[in-house]
Amino acid sequence: MSRPTARKAAPKGEYIETDSGNKVSRRSAITGTANITLGGRTVIMADVVLRGDLHPTRAVPSSSGKEVTPTSISIGRCTVISTGSVIKPPSRISRGQTHYYPMKIGDNVFVGPNCTISAISISSHVHIGANVTIHPFALIKENVKILPNTVVPANMVISSGSVVGGRPARIVGEVGEGWGVSGGGAGTGLGVGGGSEEKWVEGGDLRELVRSIK
Amino acid sequence: MAQPFPYTYYACDCYDSNNTTSSKRASQILAAAEEEDRTFDPRSPRSNYSLYPLEHLLYCEDCQQIRCPRCVLEETLNWYCPSCLFEVPSSVVKSDGNRCTRNCYNCPICTSPMTVNSLDTSNDNGPPYILACPYCHWSTVEIGIEFEKHTGISSQLARIANGGKPIPTQKERDKERERRKELGSRKRDGRDVLSHSEDSPSTDTERDDPPPSHDDVFSNLGAFYKAQIEAQTPSNPFSPHDITFSSPSAYNRIMNLYSNTSSKRNKRQKPAPMREAASLIEGLTVHNPSADAAAIERIKKEGWAATLSPAQKLTQINPNIRFESDLRPIATLLCTKRSKRCRSCRHILSKPESKITSTRYKIKLLALNHIPRLSIRALPSTATMPPPPSSSTQQPQFNYNALNSGIPTHFLLHLSNPLFDPIRVTLATPSTTPGKVQSRVTILCPQFEVGANTDVWDDALSSSLSPIKRGSIINADGQIEAGKIWDRGRNWTSVVIEVVPGFLKPVAGFGQQVDGADGEEELGEDEDVLEIPVFVRIEFEADVNAEERGLGDARGSKGERERREEAFWTVVGVGKIAGM
Repeated sequence: MSRPTARKAAPKGEYIETDSGNKVSRRSAITGTANITLGGRTVIMADVVLRGDLHPTRAVPSSSGKEVTPTSISIGRCTVISTGSVIKPPSRISRGQTHYYPMKIGDNVFVGPNCTISAISISSHVHIGANVTIHPFALIKENVKILPNTVVPANMVISSGSVVGGRPARIVGEVGEGWGVSGGGAGTGLGVGGGSEEKWVEGGDLRELVRSIK
Repeated sequence: MAQPFPYTYYACDCYDSNNTTSSKRASQILAAAEEEDRTFDPRSPRSNYSLYPLEHLLYCEDCQQIRCPRCVLEETLNWYCPSCLFEVPSSVVKSDGNRCTRNCYNCPICTSPMTVNSLDTSNDNGPPYILACPYCHWSTVEIGIEFEKHTGISSQLARIANGGKPIPTQKERDKERERRKELGSRKRDGRDVLSHSEDSPSTDTERDDPPPSHDDVFSNLGAFYKAQIEAQTPSNPFSPHDITFSSPSAYNRIMNLYSNTSSKRNKRQKPAPMREAASLIEGLTVHNPSADAAAIERIKKEGWAATLSPAQKLTQINPNIRFESDLRPIATLLCTKRSKRCRSCRHILSKPESKITSTRYKIKLLALNHIPRLSIRALPSTATMPPPPSSSTQQPQFNYNALNSGIPTHFLLHLSNPLFDPIRVTLATPSTTPGKVQSRVTILCPQFEVGANTDVWDDALSSSLSPIKRGSIINADGQIEAGKIWDRGRNWTSVVIEVVPGFLKPVAGFGQQVDGADGEEELGEDEDVLEIPVFVRIEFEADVNAEERGLGDARGSKGERERREEAFWTVVGVGKIAGM
């Protein structure tokens, strides 16, 4: 019995896998790679734009006197950036000059397809739905769910455990106590929680999801 | 919150169980028994309040029952501002109300958080400052408010009225009221002596002044009532005019209620009725038709765009305003951290750490860890051979939003067991779904076992649980055989459920009876959603000590085992039936 839909073995896989297990799509558009750090087991899907070239230009006072490469985007472990999303560090105009600020994304963050993200910081275990826009300097704490098609206004602070939605985003609810808890090692099998068909839960450990992406 | 298909909701029966008290008449018991026999209807209006996703449910280990948000007691641990994330002591909440007193404000137009910007053009970011909305670009310039400092916005805003005029403080208001009162009484005295005219004495003076602000009226009325209460040490315990419960008069009243001797004496006296506010100084607002006329004129001139939506009005402190020029920035509402207790046994079910920045819990008893998780998904077309399980992403996506009427569709019902003991599961479902669109549902294997949630490595090391050959449950005709499970793993089992989605419009001679009256009826909202109520009953043997169940090793043979069973309704949302 042969596999009916054997994957057309592309000469090279869709993803480039790094030593630390990061999977970066060959079709993603990444600029300024020196200014981007990925924590490991992080997935950057196709058509994702990472603007690493927009890094802080102000001189970083370093004790050793050596030139330090500024970080513009740092992404944690097991974070998934879905297709078509744009990650652009926030900027502010001061004294006629545009200054970019480093952006931080935590662990186990899921960013849905076609999002535009300029938040200053996104903490761990955050689930961002599809087509979400996050304006500059928004601050998103742990265990937050952002519903699809939401627009998070600039400078908004979303406290942990909130569910936000709407244009502009408002807090519409709280995530339950069981947010991100995969039920009793239900790692095997299918269909748990919001991730309906997948082997992972929203806000939970995304390692299974990362593993399944090839 | 709407979830995408497919989803599973769990029903908490707390409402029904609260109703079945022991002291009931025979007819009621019969009714209750009938109620018990009836299948759960996800469409009944009441079930809106008993269905929850599993993540939102807690589990009381002492009652051995699911606890939903309706059957827990919440206790506030602390208050904090969601915007600046500072904790607000409860004493401040009591005195200053449930709003942030720092610099946190929301836009009165679009509710997004506002930022303090400088209007200074000389690149120094000096004064004056304004509050501006980064989302809709509304700013306090539009209501004529500018600030001298960029901190302490609340106190500055409290002193400035719209248009930049200062707001009188409480002291100034009191002084002003006294002055007016004196003025009024002197005038009245003079008139009474001179002319004995019956004209209302104070109206002519009030005409000239602009109408009092909301705060003025409130402080006037407050002062009037205070004076009334002080003037009359109330002996009447049921006086309707007592508004402050912390006042000494209220204390008196309560003491009178509980001490018989004094109340008897007091009952004889007829209490002098309190009078209501009679003038502007006392907080009376008389309807002013000219104000209405002015508002109408303004709408004529400026149009609807200058008026407020009901939602915008309701978020304001003074909900009686009409125009955009009356808006004030909204101070951010505080949030709370709450612990939850079981309503029946008062045990704590969840308790977060009190630190604002911490997201950890001291106690958290989740239903997730105690009841099996039920999930459903479409079975890839069964006529062809079963696909390799790993490459499910390669399959064309099943469209849950367009189920075909009348075509038998197979779904996989998947049960995973969080318990450390193997469970026996019995599933039950009505043969046709409730509601106008009747779909036929058959669970092909309603009774099965699910393995224990043992160590992951046990499964990997012992290959005894080799996957079942799926070919064996599909017989020669490509039909799925009833009574056999589809697949199983360490702590999960999946079975096949066959659904024949119903017809949105009755089709003549196709098994369904065309009811003349029903056929004409329009389908209500969400009638095309296919939701299957599934009754789940699990049986297992557990160690007697409930506390150790989660922690101890299930194989640590204590010998003392007890049979347990649990039963609950779930509602499985399969999808939407497509129109034809």
